[in-house]
Amino acid sequence: MPKGSKVLLLGNEAIARGAIEAGIGFAASYPGTPSTEIVEALSEVAKEIGLYVEWSTNEKVAFEAAYAAALAGVKSIVTMKHVGVNVAADILMSSGYAGTNSGFVVVSADDPGQHSSQNEQDNRWYGLLAHIPVVEPWSPRSAYKLVKAAFELSEKYKHPVIFRSTTRISHTRQPITYESDMVKPKVKGVFDRNIERYVLIPAHGRKLKRIMMDKWNRISEEEDREPFIEVLNPGCKRAIIASGIAFAHVMEALDYLGKKEDFTVLRVSLPVPLPKKPVINLGKDVKEILVVEELDPIVEMQVKKIFHENGIDTLVYGKEFVPINGELDLETVYKAIKAFLGENPDETPWNPVSPLELEPPIPPRPPVLCPGCPHRSTFYIIKVSANKAGLRNPIFTGDIGCYTLGFQKPFRTQETSFEMGGSIGVAHGLSKTVEEPVIAVIGDSTFYHAGIPGSINAIYNKGHFIILVLDNYYTAMTGHQPHPGTGVTAVGEPTKRIPIEDILKAIGFDTYVINPMNVKESIEKVVKAFKEFKEGRYVAIVSRMKCALQAVRKARKMGVKLPVYGINPDKCTGCLSCINLLACPAIVVPEGEKKPRILGELCAGCGLCASVCPFNAIEVVRKGDPEWIKAWM
Amino acid sequence: MITMPRFNILLAGVGGQGLLTLGALIGNAAIEKGMDVTIAETHGLSQRGGSLVVHVRLGEGASPLIPKGGADVIIGLEALETGRYMVFANRDTRVFMNEFLWPPPLAKAPRLNDLIKEISKRAKLYTINANELALQETGLVVTANTIMLGFAIAVDEKLSELIDIKTVDKVIEKTFRGKAKELNKKALWRGYREGQARVR
Repeated sequence: MPKGSKVLLLGNEAIARGAIEAGIGFAASYPGTPSTEIVEALSEVAKEIGLYVEWSTNEKVAFEAAYAAALAGVKSIVTMKHVGVNVAADILMSSGYAGTNSGFVVVSADDPGQHSSQNEQDNRWYGLLAHIPVVEPWSPRSAYKLVKAAFELSEKYKHPVIFRSTTRISHTRQPITYESDMVKPKVKGVFDRNIERYVLIPAHGRKLKRIMMDKWNRISEEEDREPFIEVLNPGCKRAIIASGIAFAHVMEALDYLGKKEDFTVLRVSLPVPLPKKPVINLGKDVKEILVVEELDPIVEMQVKKIFHENGIDTLVYGKEFVPINGELDLETVYKAIKAFLGENPDETPWNPVSPLELEPPIPPRPPVLCPGCPHRSTFYIIKVSANKAGLRNPIFTGDIGCYTLGFQKPFRTQETSFEMGGSIGVAHGLSKTVEEPVIAVIGDSTFYHAGIPGSINAIYNKGHFIILVLDNYYTAMTGHQPHPGTGVTAVGEPTKRIPIEDILKAIGFDTYVINPMNVKESIEKVVKAFKEFKEGRYVAIVSRMKCALQAVRKARKMGVKLPVYGINPDKCTGCLSCINLLACPAIVVPEGEKKPRILGELCAGCGLCASVCPFNAIEVVRKGDPEWIKAWM
Repeated sequence: MITMPRFNILLAGVGGQGLLTLGALIGNAAIEKGMDVTIAETHGLSQRGGSLVVHVRLGEGASPLIPKGGADVIIGLEALETGRYMVFANRDTRVFMNEFLWPPPLAKAPRLNDLIKEISKRAKLYTINANELALQETGLVVTANTIMLGFAIAVDEKLSELIDIKTVDKVIEKTFRGKAKELNKKALWRGYREGQARVR
């Protein structure tokens, strides 16, 4: 869409568009909620404008690749979720020392409230740690503009910039008017050799640290201007300093309070390093300040330091009133401001109705494995096989992906889940210390991401545990991005497939590949594998079947109908084995009935329920078209 | 045109029911009408058959979440999820609910009638069986989302002042292609007719 168009964009799409307008020629990422749609959006237009885009195997590699492009003079962006920055932290720290030659922006999409993450770390800390400035938008629209400003900042100081988004910016839509057309980017550069700058031996590092600290100080002295910082309604006795999305909440809360005229508001979009001058000026003008920011008191801490160094005794409040846990919203901020004013925070303009009185109460609805999900079959197969092979009471170490949902009943095949690739290292440690057999359960994309070093370590250090890789051809949870086992790149070009079993075999595992749609045959294979494991061999299993969502999608595209299963009420005894063993969302017990029913419009036709029913009561009620199995391949 | 306070529409349902599409439809209709809007979505893990809620806020401002008790309209594509998010309703909230109760696997759920009774005690409730209507009209259950929007617009005067049915029709024309365009239009108008019959 050309300049001037008004488009409803997701925050992540806005970041992508801004980056294109800034002239990026290179983008790399590893998918992770809430960051994924940035590079998805970029990959859609990559060929059209000649932009290079890739899904890398992990965030560290993505960072290194994008950083190298910027060193060669090609503007680049690397995007990841907040915990992805932990994976890339090593190179992040070095990038501050060596600086950049062209605009280089690291997008960290944080997840306050933990909608889809193992923690809610505040990645503005990384800016302080690495001496890299952090730009923080307050809305999708401001993200669109600020990402361009972030590139300018990076170019000006020849320094990386962290662009910190959050779930409620990345995954909120807002109308955005394009300020420029998409530009054909510069994609080729030159690597000017400079050993003293690019080889971080201690002698070079010490010199580079001084250069970095000089830039750091200059940024906090000089960047005290829009769009990074803005003073609204100056001259009041009280002020609010609001960073990132907190600014949006504060403005609406003040509206509701009818106190827009009573507060000076300092909008901060460069929380790290906090520009000094506007903060000092504000401190001299006002009597007391409330700092409103999500998660940790990064800005509050710096305000207090700046005041202390400049002999300003204005009172500064923050986390006394603003929660440190979870995400902020209009209501929380409204209450925080009320409390700051000494008023009753519970008096709000909103009067929710009383809770519904229901028996039984509304049950929680956590995310579940989809109908037809091959992970469900694999978990069933593994548990049955462990029983048959006499593998007693196995401990299942787990990982990050859709299959993490296996922690739930009835599977319980995820008993740890800490970080990407963790299943294997944790299994190794347990295998050395506990009596029970240990099974590390890891997804395909996660295996490529961080599972390989752990697998090598297992053989090298004689860790005796089983590795189970769940291969559904995609990075499924984040929306089916391709990975090294898919056979295509981010822009859909065919590429060499790297089969997981080949890697495991090369490392030294006896590797079994199963198709979880063939339940009986798989159980036989896995029982054999488990028996070999008990005899002391190193065993790995790759369970391979396409993600059901993709199979259903492909069937629709091919115009073929998948088979649909139904429950024959004459044969069904209402034992509920199907539900209790599989927890498939397509199988329900209708209100007031005893026997389960299959919701035909949800059934993906995998047939697992038919193979577990002890009474053979589950049958095909609508045959699939002749070609249907091709949809699953 | 609205400035302050913003008009809040909460969309509730189960992942896969087309809530994000519904949110984008309303958002694009807002653009057509020259209104500002934010739509807070949920992506990632919770889309896998989990409870899903989308906050649509019409009018100037960038704070994306509706306060508890702050919804003007709730559109619920599934009964348990409508009940779950009643915390966003106040006495004046209009609740439009699909008469479809989908219990999560392995869980005991309250009955549809009890939910209807409890919700009607607290707010203005309008229900239709959008799944059945969708199957009749388009053969696709997933079009229940557009049926619910047409229904709500026909019944709710304030909503239709902001987002009228013709604008939504125009947005479907612009944003959908081929068969999806035709089916969504049919669903929208079917829901609208059901709603008109209700208020007459």
